[in-house]
Amino acid sequence: MYSLILLNGGIGARIGANQPKQLLKLRGIPILVYALIQADRVEKISQIVLNYPAGWKEAVEEVLADYAIATPVTLVEAGDSRHASVAAMLPHCSEDDVIIHEAARPLVSRRNFEDLIEDEHANVSLMTPISFTVAPVDPETREVTGSLERDRLRNVQLPQKFSKADLAASHEQAKQDGKVYTEDATLVADSGRPVYFIEGSDVNFKVTTPTDLRMAGFLLRPEEEDDD
Amino acid sequence: MTETALVTGASRGIGLETVRRFLHNSENITTIVMFARASEDFDAAVEELRASSPVGRKIVTRAVDVGDRDALHEALESVHAEVGNIDHLVNNAGYTNPVPLQQAEIEDFEKTMSVNVYAPFLIVKWLLNHGNTFKLIVNIASTAGINGRSGWLTYSASKAAVINMSQVMREELAIYGTRVVCLSPGRTATALRRTLAPEEDPTTIMQPEHVARVIETFTSPVGRFIDSENIVVRQ
Repeated sequence: MYSLILLNGGIGARIGANQPKQLLKLRGIPILVYALIQADRVEKISQIVLNYPAGWKEAVEEVLADYAIATPVTLVEAGDSRHASVAAMLPHCSEDDVIIHEAARPLVSRRNFEDLIEDEHANVSLMTPISFTVAPVDPETREVTGSLERDRLRNVQLPQKFSKADLAASHEQAKQDGKVYTEDATLVADSGRPVYFIEGSDVNFKVTTPTDLRMAGFLLRPEEEDDD
Repeated sequence: MTETALVTGASRGIGLETVRRFLHNSENITTIVMFARASEDFDAAVEELRASSPVGRKIVTRAVDVGDRDALHEALESVHAEVGNIDHLVNNAGYTNPVPLQQAEIEDFEKTMSVNVYAPFLIVKWLLNHGNTFKLIVNIASTAGINGRSGWLTYSASKAAVINMSQVMREELAIYGTRVVCLSPGRTATALRRTLAPEEDPTTIMQPEHVARVIETFTSPVGRFIDSENIVVRQ
């Protein structure tokens, strides 16, 4: 069984709203609800650890009650960064294995979670091939400093799963090394513990900008689902 | 598979015929919950249905006026405790008192909205808030909700609201995989139709069982291939 760490603490600075973006509405529904409902249907998720931006606990509790989320939810106040939030949420996880997802990816499906769970390895991330070329550069001089082999690069997605012990030890190691990461698959891999990937989904993108919000809204239309 | 259906306005007309179709023809629906106001018609209908019920089918009844919010919530609470999840919901109960605008009373308009619009809303909301997952919701509107009719202001307005509310439900409940169908019957030989058009010969127009057959189709395996925001059924 798994504890799901559902990251929900980010303030929507880039999206231009004066409220946490997870409570912004996508097709009239708080974005947070989409991931919650999919996760709520996954049998092997026995607990959801959900964080909230300071001052927004009641609003999040209201959403949980209105949408009758059946999986037990543990609420934790968000940290200063994503990295800090995961570290603060980990001790609240009651299972030995954890899944990390973020509410800002509302197009995640129940199937995505189940594919992850079914994989034989303990530490696994959804990832997608990249369709563009990434160049290493020197931002100061604007000089292109070499090339990267596209076939050996992946776009890191969520959800991801980890053994709780591996994730906690990797976070501790990063803290000691003074390193801050923007996601956990590379954090755990950098610590020397094995991490694998499975094929993600191109619709499972992170809603960051107003254009993303419109794109997600388009993809969530019932007609789109019917046409799958 | 054992599924449960809830039908409102189930004592006569389209509601009763829908229950009959579910009882005798559905492969999946084994429990049928009937909501209707207390009446001799309701008692007689339930008795007749139970007498002819195939083995293994269960009929649960609640005498409730869906326009009475407290009574409606009480009925939902007890039914939820007794049968659990409602898979199919048919919001059929309807009310009308057709009078010209100058004679329409606001209290009567409110009653029309309570039964025709607020009751379906309250049933769906209450069940969702309590963790119910619907497979299908059928809201019965009317062709009078597509085009307003002289003398039917309150009824036409309420049914227009049902059509629009169904579109919103369809979009919002897509996250659960719930299908929401709005069905707008044209002239159908029901008690409500007799109120709207007392001069009409009911044998010359569409019968409730015809509409019920369409509703039953939505719940059948082929029903998932029918997708429209407002389906008009007329003779």
